[in-house]
Amino acid sequence: MSDPSSINGGAAVAMVGKDCVAIASDLRLGNQSLGVSNNFEKVFQFGDKTFLGLTGLASDVTTLSQVFRLKTNLYKLREERSIEPQTFANLVSSTLYEKRFGPYFIGPIVAGLDSKTDKPFICGFDLIGCIDFAKDFIVSGTASDQLYGMCESLYEPNLEPEDLFETISQALLNAVDRDALSGWGCVVYVITKDRVVKRVLRTRQD
Amino acid sequence: MSRTTVASEYSAEIQSTPIEHRFNPYSDNGGTVLGIAGKDFAVLAGDTRHVTGYNINSRYEPRVFDVGDNIVMTANGFAADGKALIDRFKNQIKWYKFNNGGKKLEMQSAARYIQQLLYGKRFFPYYVSTLIAGLDEEGRGAVYSYDPVGSYEREQCRAGGAAASLIMPFLDNQVNFKNQFIPGTDGKEKRPFEYLSLQEVIELVKDAFNSAAERHIHVGDGLEILIVTKDGVRTEYSPLKRD
Amino acid sequence: MEHNPFKWGRPDDAVYGAYNHQIAEAGVNSLFPKMNTQNPIITGTSVIGIKYKDGVILAADNMGSYGSLMRFSNVERLLTIGENTVVGVSGDISDAQQLARYLDSLELQENVYDNDGENQLKAVNVHEYLTKLLYHRRSQMNPLWNALIVGGFDEAGEPFMKSVDLLGVSFSSSTLATGFGAHLAVPLLRQVIPEDKKYVDVTEEQARKVIEDCMRVLFYRDARSMDKYSMVTIKKGQELKFEKDLVVKDQNWRFAQNIRGYGNAQQ
Repeated sequence: MSDPSSINGGAAVAMVGKDCVAIASDLRLGNQSLGVSNNFEKVFQFGDKTFLGLTGLASDVTTLSQVFRLKTNLYKLREERSIEPQTFANLVSSTLYEKRFGPYFIGPIVAGLDSKTDKPFICGFDLIGCIDFAKDFIVSGTASDQLYGMCESLYEPNLEPEDLFETISQALLNAVDRDALSGWGCVVYVITKDRVVKRVLRTRQD
Repeated sequence: MSRTTVASEYSAEIQSTPIEHRFNPYSDNGGTVLGIAGKDFAVLAGDTRHVTGYNINSRYEPRVFDVGDNIVMTANGFAADGKALIDRFKNQIKWYKFNNGGKKLEMQSAARYIQQLLYGKRFFPYYVSTLIAGLDEEGRGAVYSYDPVGSYEREQCRAGGAAASLIMPFLDNQVNFKNQFIPGTDGKEKRPFEYLSLQEVIELVKDAFNSAAERHIHVGDGLEILIVTKDGVRTEYSPLKRD
Repeated sequence: MEHNPFKWGRPDDAVYGAYNHQIAEAGVNSLFPKMNTQNPIITGTSVIGIKYKDGVILAADNMGSYGSLMRFSNVERLLTIGENTVVGVSGDISDAQQLARYLDSLELQENVYDNDGENQLKAVNVHEYLTKLLYHRRSQMNPLWNALIVGGFDEAGEPFMKSVDLLGVSFSSSTLATGFGAHLAVPLLRQVIPEDKKYVDVTEEQARKVIEDCMRVLFYRDARSMDKYSMVTIKKGQELKFEKDLVVKDQNWRFAQNIRGYGNAQQ
C-alpha cells in the first residue's frame, strides 16, 4: 500500500435533503495501519454556507485546505461577499487541474446552499478536478465502496434536516466500521437556510 | 539453482534463470452473493450475471446451488474454481450417503468438510469466496462463510464477491442493528438483536442487490434467492438492472 | 548426394551441427525441461452460435492465422460428435486438433461400450467432458488454448448451447460468441433474443439470417477472419445439416471509399 491516496485513510460524504444539505467525515488520521490522530477533521468551511470535504493524502488535505482559505479570503476581499458553492466548485476544479501532471492525491466533495435561492448544491471531484454533479449524494475516501453501498440503500430524496442527519450519520458510521483505515469518530454538518449545525458522533474505537 | 529453461526451440542453451510464465490460470467472473440466517430459515442469494472483463457472457448463469441435504452453496469469484469446488462437494455428499446408509450430512460437518477441500489447495487456491446456508441440528438458520484457503466462521449474515464491500456494511446496520440505539437513551443503550421474518429478509436482500447493481458493473441482470426451511429449498427469481 | 531421404530438406549437419534430439524429447529423460503452451500459434478466430425454437445454429470461418498471416484457408473448426452435437473451436488450431482426437476417442468409447441403442452422447455430456478436460489442463498449467461453444440438445431433448474456455470457465446463454464475436456478434444476436428464455420465439429463418449478418460484420471488421465459413444447423427430429464453403453474402464495401488507407480516398 504505497498508494498515496490510501496511506492516511479517511472518508467523507455529502447528501441533499429538502431545502438542506449535510456533509460529514470521519476523524481518523493514520500512518498505514497505525492510528495517529482521532481529531483530524476533513470538512472545512469556506463561506457562510459553503463546505468542502477533503479525503486522501493528509499533507495534501492540509495544504489544499490552506490554499482554498487563501483563495476564498482573496475572493471575499475582491467581491465583498462570501463564495457561493457553485463558484467554489469551479475554483476547486481549476485549482486541481493546474496540477494535472503532478496532482494532489485527494478526493474533494463540496456541499452548500446557494445564498440567493437557498437551493442545495453538492458535487464531487476526481484528483485532477473532473466535477461530478450529483442530485442525491457524493462519497469519497478509502471507505467509498462501503459508502456507495450504504447511501444507495439508505438514501431517499427530500428528507427533512433531522432525518437527513440520521441518514448521513448511519451511512457514514456503518461504512467506516467496515473500513480499517477510517473511523475513530465522525463529524456531521447539517446546513439549512437559517443555521449550520455541527455534531460530533461517537463511534467504535477500533 | 535448478535448471529451468531453454531460450528457444532451436537453442541448446540451458539456463538457470526462470523464464516468464505468462499463462495466468485465474480470471474474475464477477457477480456477488449474500447469505442471511433467520430464526428457522436461511437464505442464500446471488445475481445471475456472468462476466469476464467488460463482457457480459451470460445474463442468466445460476451461481447459487442446492447441493442436497437441505444445504445451499455458492463459490463466487473465479467461476471455474467455483464450479470445481461445488462439484467436488456435491460428489462428497453422495459418497457420504453411500457410506453411511443415506444419513443426512449436518451443516457443521458440511462446513468443516468444505474447509478441508479449500485448504487442500492451499498452494494453488480456489479463487472464490464460499458461502453455505442451511439449518443447524436445532433447526436454526445457519450461514457459514470462507476465505479462499478455508478459514471459516458461522455468521448471522455475510456478503461475498464483487460488491461485498458495498453490501456488508448495510447488513451490519439492518440485520445486526449496528450503530442503532434506543431513542432517548443518549446513545447509551444499543438496539437489541432480534430475528427478522423471512419476508423482511427477502426485502432486505432485494434492496441490497438493487443498490449493488446500481453502482457495480459486475452485478446485475437477475437475482436468484434460495430459501432453506425445514420443508426444503425454494427458489425465488426477480429481475435486476441490465445495464 | 545424400541418399537418406529422411535428411532431405533439413538443416545440413555440416553447417548447423547435429540436431539435439533432447529438444524434441523434452521432459522425457531429457536435460531439457518440458514446455507447455504459453501462447497460441496457428489460431482460429470467432465462433458464433444462437439457439432457436427447435435447435441451435453454429458458425465459424475456415481461416487458420499465423499471427497476422493468413496461413491456412480451409480449416474446419466445427467438429461433430455423435448424432447431434457440434463443437465450435476458436483459438489454437493444434490444440483444436488434439481436442478433436479426444472427442473421437470419446465417441468411439461410448459407441463400443455404452451403446444399447438409446443412451446417446448428448451435447450436455460432451460439454461437461470438455469443461473437465480444459479445467484439468489449466490446473496443470498446461492449457489447451481454446474457447469452445458446444451446441446440441440437453437430457430433455431441448436446445442446448454452452461455452467453455482455456481456463475451464463455462457459461450458457441463448446467444454466444467467442473472441471478436463477443464484441461484434453478441449485440446483433441479442437484438433477436433480448431475454434469454425467449429463444423459443425465434424461427430457424430468423436465426439463420442473424448468423449470416454476424459473419458479414465479422468479416468486415475482424482482420483475422475470412469470407468462407461453415455453418451447422442442429434441429429437433432431423439429421444435422452441415454446410461447408459458405460465402459471406451481400457484401457492401462502399463505406471503404471514404476511409483513408482503405479505398481511393486521398489525404
